[in-house]
Amino acid sequence: MKALRIAAQLALYAPLMAILAYFSTEPRFSVVAPDEALLRVSVIHATQRKAACRERSAEELAKLAPNMRAALDCPRERSPLLVELELDGRVVLRREVQPSGLRRDGNAALYERLALPAGRHRIVARLRDRAEGDFNYVAEQTLELAAGRTLLIDFNAARGGFVFPG
Amino acid sequence: VLKRIQAVLQWCFTKVEGVFNLAFGEKLNPLYHIGPISYYLMWLIVASGLYLYAFFETSVTGASASVEALTHAQPWAGGVLRSVHRYASDGVVLTMLLHMLRHWAFDHYRGFRWFSWVSGMVLLWLVYVAGINGYMLPWDRLARFTVVATAEWLDWLPVFNGTLVRNFIFEENVNDRLFSLLSFIHIGVPLAVLALLWVHTQRVPQARTSPPLPIMLTLTAALIALSVLKPAASQLQESAELGFDWFYLAVLALIYRWTPGEVWALVAAGSALLFLLPWLPPKKRGAERYMLVRPDNRIIPVRAGDTLLDAALREGIALPFDCRNGGCGECKATLRAGSVEFGPHQPGVLSEAERAAGTILPCVCTARGDLELEYSPARAPGAAAVRAWSATVESMQRLSPDVMQVILQLEGRERIAFYAGQYINILLEDGAKRSFSFATAPALSGQMNERIELHIRRIPGGRYTTHVFERMRPGERLRFEGPLGSFFLREDSDKPMIFVAGSTGFAPVKSMLEYAFSRGIARRMILYWGVRRPRDLYLRELPEQWAREHANFTFVPVVSHAEGEDGWQGRSGFVHEAILADFPDLAGYQVYACGSAAMVEAAHPAFKAQGLGPDDCFADAFVQRPEMVRLGGAA
Repeated sequence: MKALRIAAQLALYAPLMAILAYFSTEPRFSVVAPDEALLRVSVIHATQRKAACRERSAEELAKLAPNMRAALDCPRERSPLLVELELDGRVVLRREVQPSGLRRDGNAALYERLALPAGRHRIVARLRDRAEGDFNYVAEQTLELAAGRTLLIDFNAARGGFVFPG
Repeated sequence: VLKRIQAVLQWCFTKVEGVFNLAFGEKLNPLYHIGPISYYLMWLIVASGLYLYAFFETSVTGASASVEALTHAQPWAGGVLRSVHRYASDGVVLTMLLHMLRHWAFDHYRGFRWFSWVSGMVLLWLVYVAGINGYMLPWDRLARFTVVATAEWLDWLPVFNGTLVRNFIFEENVNDRLFSLLSFIHIGVPLAVLALLWVHTQRVPQARTSPPLPIMLTLTAALIALSVLKPAASQLQESAELGFDWFYLAVLALIYRWTPGEVWALVAAGSALLFLLPWLPPKKRGAERYMLVRPDNRIIPVRAGDTLLDAALREGIALPFDCRNGGCGECKATLRAGSVEFGPHQPGVLSEAERAAGTILPCVCTARGDLELEYSPARAPGAAAVRAWSATVESMQRLSPDVMQVILQLEGRERIAFYAGQYINILLEDGAKRSFSFATAPALSGQMNERIELHIRRIPGGRYTTHVFERMRPGERLRFEGPLGSFFLREDSDKPMIFVAGSTGFAPVKSMLEYAFSRGIARRMILYWGVRRPRDLYLRELPEQWAREHANFTFVPVVSHAEGEDGWQGRSGFVHEAILADFPDLAGYQVYACGSAAMVEAAHPAFKAQGLGPDDCFADAFVQRPEMVRLGGAA
């Protein structure tokens, strides 16, 4: 009877442990479908100021307190950031981001994650960091993306703009 | 619909618990200890985590390497403990969700229970934070995914706005300080969980925070076995797929199927719904009720939805209990008046006959109105648990040819508290027990508590009573358990009391009467002491003395089998018949009957037929309980 009870206890414990064992690793998870690759775009960039600095007139300076009499008046607000991503001739991402901060004078940040079919792709990345005009940063690259791979596109103005993985 | 879902879940829980009862028994059924098991798993996690932390290196290069070394260089220590740490963490999620689901299914989350429910929700959140954070530490592929996915999720919030994830998607941004931060969180949050667990259980009267030892041992053994069979391992090989812990990381997987905003909406809506659940319709109807609890003679409030057990425990009443889920029957009590909602319980625990006789399970019962409950104390007054005592026979005196007075002296200067009328079980070497009543009143003086008086009647052929009469000597040591029983003096009534003692049933009556005299109880008290022959009135002079000293006390000895040589001039016949003759209407009386089962069984229906109220006759407890047989002198 005791042996039967112990067997019954094991029979009830076993499924509980099996649940723990199974769901602690299975079913396996993939961030993209088996025939896809992942593209990440991350940009953090201080865009150009919306308006250029101008020189204050003598009258304007006189109205200011003596310790505030800076010769240049530079509006702090920065331009929105516009990013566009083209994949094999098709625009798959176009997003405008406002600079951070109450006065919109901070960095503009953007992060996007896209799943794309594995294979060879022509990718064009464009960025505009000024109020008007065309994109002032453009980069183009053709890449072979294996299934399950992750492609990360960064932006660094000091290094000339978009940075594709080497 | 909600009620129907709850009913289905209740049915499922009850059935599954019934199956577990067959295998584990009611006392060790893990399903009756889900909350304490979560608690225990947390301690396992803390203990194994401390060991792991001692070997963990908080650096970019050291994190993964140290975890690998821990896993493979010491597989039977670090390796097993790492796995136990993981599986116990998964177990916490499983048991917490089960615990929550059960309380929801049985509607134990509304009213005053909102605090436990809400604190439980916060706990669940904290456990998830700690668990997800833990998966970041080994710095394998799963750790990188976890860090990035968590950052992506948080980045949806305007405060981060896409900046947080840059710290993790670029390898050069990850530095040693990240691992110090992650370790700090991984220690701090579980500490907060333990602190909140303590708060969470405060509202539950006498909540258990650890499961029974056998459950702890089997659970630990099962986790170790699982750790050996399927050790936790880092995922270092490049692969498109990840081995995924769905107990913790499911929400992160969802981020890759939905947008982070949608996942936030789901989690926020789900959490808000669960947080607000105690206040959402359908509103639970009910008002506060009051319960008279015997033998404590206390009237206590019962909040709407509160089980009678919780209400009693909250007021410090030592109602016995074990599973608290209607599975073991440990808390069985008698409903003397009023009506209750029986609550879900295992069918085998409470038979129809018991229900009809008024037996209920306070651990699942709720009050429909004011009620009166009587239970058998498993503890003595002052919340002292029933326990085993050691005593020495101080003196012995033969009170009649077949009745021995035995005075026991408690060892170690201990004192025992008990109700007048309760009894003890003398523990024999082979595990057998013999029951005898206290024959003196409790707490009449300090001396009374140190000494116990027993009246032991010799049973022809009885093993223990023969030993008492033939071999027991002063100085003999013995062990007993007690105090036990629910036969006691009711002090909440003004009705005159009739005591019916058969043979050594005089012992507990003596205890009650001495107690009543010492308390100055002015109610009329009549003692009918029934014996076979006049010589069996072994302490006759004592009640006669009481009758002289107390105007409210009358003593009526009744002899059933007097012979000519006895010269008996007093009342003759069966003791209960004398009472029936003297009191044509018993409606205004309380009767305390102690004696052989046969006497009590004969007296009880006769007294009822003559008007004795069911609440004033305590004989039915005598008939049902084996201790009543002892009153006639068990062998």
